Amino acid sequence: MAPKKPEPKKEAAKPAPAPAPAPAPAPAPAPEAPKEPAFDPKSVKFKEAFSLFDRTPTGEMKITYGQCGDVLRALGQNPTNAEVLRVLGKPKPEEMNVKMLDFETFLPILQHISRNKEQGTYEDFVEGLRVFDKESNGTVMGAELRHVLATLGEKMTEAEVEQLLAGQEDANGCINYEAFVKHIMSG
Amino acid sequence: MGCSSSSTKTRRSDTSLRAALIIQNWYRGYKARLKARQHYALTIFQSIEYADEQGQMQLSTFFSFMLENYTHIHKEELELRNQSLESEQDMRDRWDYVDSIDVPDSYNGPRLQFPLTCTDIDLLLEAFKEQQILHAHYVLEVLFETKKVLKQMPNFTHIQTSPSKEVTICGDLHGKLDDLFLIFYKNGLPSERNPYVFNGDFVDRGKNSIEILMILCVSFLVYPNDLHLNRGNHEDFMMNLRYGFTKEILHKYKLHGKRILQILEEFYAWLPIGTIVDNEILVIHGGISETTDLNLLHRVERNKMKSVLIPPTETNRDHDTDSKHNKVGVTFNAHGRIKTNGSPTEHLTEHEWEQIIDILWSDPRGKNGCFPNTCRGGGCYFGPDVTSKILNKYQLKMLIRSHECKPEGYEICHDGKVVTIFSASNYYEEGSNRGAYIKLCSGTTPRFFQYQVTKATCFQPLRQRVDTMENSAIKILRERVISRKSDLTRAFQLQDHRKSGKLSVSQWAFCMENILGLNLPWRSLSSNLVNIDQNGNVEYMSSSQNIRIEKPVQEAHSTLVETLYRYRSDLEIIFNAIDTDHSGLISVEEFRAMWKLFSSHYNVHIDDSQVNKLANIMDLNKDGSIDFNEFLKAFYVVHRCEDLMKPDVTNLG
Repeated sequence: MAPKKPEPKKEAAKPAPAPAPAPAPAPAPAPEAPKEPAFDPKSVKFKEAFSLFDRTPTGEMKITYGQCGDVLRALGQNPTNAEVLRVLGKPKPEEMNVKMLDFETFLPILQHISRNKEQGTYEDFVEGLRVFDKESNGTVMGAELRHVLATLGEKMTEAEVEQLLAGQEDANGCINYEAFVKHIMSG
Repeated sequence: MGCSSSSTKTRRSDTSLRAALIIQNWYRGYKARLKARQHYALTIFQSIEYADEQGQMQLSTFFSFMLENYTHIHKEELELRNQSLESEQDMRDRWDYVDSIDVPDSYNGPRLQFPLTCTDIDLLLEAFKEQQILHAHYVLEVLFETKKVLKQMPNFTHIQTSPSKEVTICGDLHGKLDDLFLIFYKNGLPSERNPYVFNGDFVDRGKNSIEILMILCVSFLVYPNDLHLNRGNHEDFMMNLRYGFTKEILHKYKLHGKRILQILEEFYAWLPIGTIVDNEILVIHGGISETTDLNLLHRVERNKMKSVLIPPTETNRDHDTDSKHNKVGVTFNAHGRIKTNGSPTEHLTEHEWEQIIDILWSDPRGKNGCFPNTCRGGGCYFGPDVTSKILNKYQLKMLIRSHECKPEGYEICHDGKVVTIFSASNYYEEGSNRGAYIKLCSGTTPRFFQYQVTKATCFQPLRQRVDTMENSAIKILRERVISRKSDLTRAFQLQDHRKSGKLSVSQWAFCMENILGLNLPWRSLSSNLVNIDQNGNVEYMSSSQNIRIEKPVQEAHSTLVETLYRYRSDLEIIFNAIDTDHSGLISVEEFRAMWKLFSSHYNVHIDDSQVNKLANIMDLNKDGSIDFNEFLKAFYVVHRCEDLMKPDVTNLG
C-alpha cells in the first residue's frame, strides 16, 4: 500500500499542525510547538495506527467492519470474533466488507473492549492447552489440537492452524505446550 | 450411571470448547499484531524509497544547474572529447564492441552460438543457476544484436492473444534472479506458444541485474515476436549509477565493464515504450497523465530519450543562444552523450520528453485529477477520471502498469481499469511482499498468479520473518535519523524551552516528520527509536546513542561528515558523471569546483576551507586526484548494538 502523500486532506486528519514536510536540505524551520490535543494523548497514537489500516483510496480515515477485529487486536486487545460482532451491532456477513467505520466511531469501541478485564492471561492459555494433555506430561498431541481448533469454538481454517503450530511438533507429533505458549506470548 | 457419565462428558466438552476458544482468541490476536508490524515495516520501506526518489528531482535540477554554470576547466580535454565523439560514431562497429574481445580457452562459463536458439536460453539458465558469469564478449554481442533488432521495432508493440495463446505479463524484476526462475518454473519458458511481456525495471537493486537482462535479451533474440520488453524508469544509465546496476557491472566485469556500460546507454533508449494487447489493453511501466498523447508517443523518436536526469535544455530549441552564453559544448556525463551545442534535431522537444517521463514515472491515486508526482520527482499522480478520459480517448479498456511494489504482488484500482503488477517478491526484505504475474487472453478476465521466493534455509515461522523485516526497516530508519542529526537536534532544542533534554511524544513526532519528510506513524515507532521515560516523555538525544557515522578523517568536522553521508548517493552519481573515463578518479580541482556548485544548489552550508582540507587529505598520494569511491566508502554508519559487532557499510542505493 502506498504511503500517504502530504495532501491537504491528510493534514487535516492529524492533530499536530504540520506544515508540508520539506525534505529539502534547508535548515530546520522554526515551528510553533503543536498544541497538545484536548483529549487523551494515547488516542493520538491509536489514530496513527488506525490510519495505517485505512485502505480507502483517498485516505478518508475509515476501515471496514471486517477489519475492525484486526485493528483492535493490533492495538493490544483480544476480543473474540463474537465480541467484535456484538460491539458492531451484529452486522450481516455481506456487510462486513462494505460498511465502514471512522475513527470517531472506532475509539469508543476500543475503549469498551479494553474495559473487558477478562483478557486471557498466560495461565489461562496454559490451562486451555492442559485440557488436551491426556497423559499430564506437559505435552499435547498436535493432531488432536489441530482437530479441536478447526472444529470447535470460533473455528480456525486449516491454513491458520498450520501457521500457528508450524515447527512446534516434535518427531512424535507432540507439542510441549509451555514452550509453545512462551513462543506465542513473546510475539 | 448413565446420567452422571453423560454430564461428565458434557463437562469435558465444555472445557474443551472453552479451551479451544481461548487458544483461537490468542492466535487471532497474535496474527493481527504480526500483520500490523509487517505493515509498519513496509510503510517505512516505502516512505524511504519514495523519499529517495524525490532526491532524484533535486539531482536532476542540479544537473541542469551544472550545465548552465560549469565551464570546463581543461579546454584541451574538451577538444579531445569532441574528437573522440566523432570516432565514437564510428565505434558503432561490431568490431570495436564485440569482436575485439576474445573469449579465452580457460573460460568455463556458457558459450553462446549465434544465431541463438532455445538451446542457448537453457544454457544460460543452467549456468546462472550455478552462479556462473557470462563472459563480457557474449554480453556485448547479445546487447549489440538485441539493439539491432530493437531498432527495427516501433515504439509500441501490438500483439494479439487467442484462447490457445495467452500472454503472460510480468512487472518489475529488479535484478532478482530467483523470481525470474520461479516464474519460468511455474509458467514455462518463453516460446511461440507462451509469449511474455516484461514491463520494465529489469535491473537495479537486486544483485543479478545483468543475468536477468541477458536471459531476457537472449529470449528476445530467439523469439522476437513473442518476448516483449518495455522500458522502465530504471532502464536509464543515470538511475543505474545510483541504484546499483553500474556497480554490479563494474564489479563483475572489471576489464570490459566500461564497454558494457557504453553500449547499455544506447540499448536502453531503443527499448519500446509499451505494448498494446488486442487493441484494448495498454501495458506501460509507470502510468499516464491527463495530457498523454498516444499518437505523439507512437511517432516520437524514442532513442533520443537518454535519461530522466538529462532533460532537454533551452539550447535544444534555440541554437543561436549558444554563442551568447559562451557555452562551449559542455559535456557532463559519462561519455559526452549530451551535447548542449548539438543541433536541435538530436534532442527531443520538451513536450515529447515529458510525455515519455509521464509514461515511465507516473503513479495512479484515488483522488481525481492529475498532480505532479513530487514524491518521485517525475511524472504525475493520475486519478480515476484521468484513466477514464485517456482510455476512452483511445478506445482502450485497461491499463496494466508496474513501478510500485504491492504487498500481494498486484493491485487493481480505478474501478478495475488500472492494474499494477510487480514481480519482485521480497523486494524490500525477506518476507516483505509477494510477486505476481498476469495471464491474459481476449474475452476472458485476467488471471493473477502469486508467489514468494523463500531461501532454502528460510522456512522460518512467520514470526521470525516479520522480525527480520522489522529489524531491517528500523535499521534503515535509524540511519536516516543519524544522517539528519544536526537539523533534528536544532529542531528539538527549539521546542525544548526548558532545556530539559525531553519533549512530549507529540513534539518529538512533529519534529521528526518535518525534518525527515517521511509520513510515518512516529508515535507507534517511538519506542524503537528513542528512550521514553516513566512520564511518557521522549529523551530526544537518545536516538543517536547507539549509532554514529564513522569519521574517515579525524580532522573532519562532524557537520561535514553528516552532510557527506547524507548525500552519498547523489555525490556518487555526480562524481561518476564527471569521471568521464570511468577511471574512478577525479582531479582535486574538479572536486572543488563541483563541491562549490553542489553546496550552493543544495543550500548546504559548509565553508570552503573545510572542503579543501578534506580534498587535500583524500588525495592520498598527492598526485592531484581523488579516488572518489574510496572517498565515499569512507563514510559509513556504525551501529553500536549488541548484535552488530563490526561496522556495517550501508548502501543507500
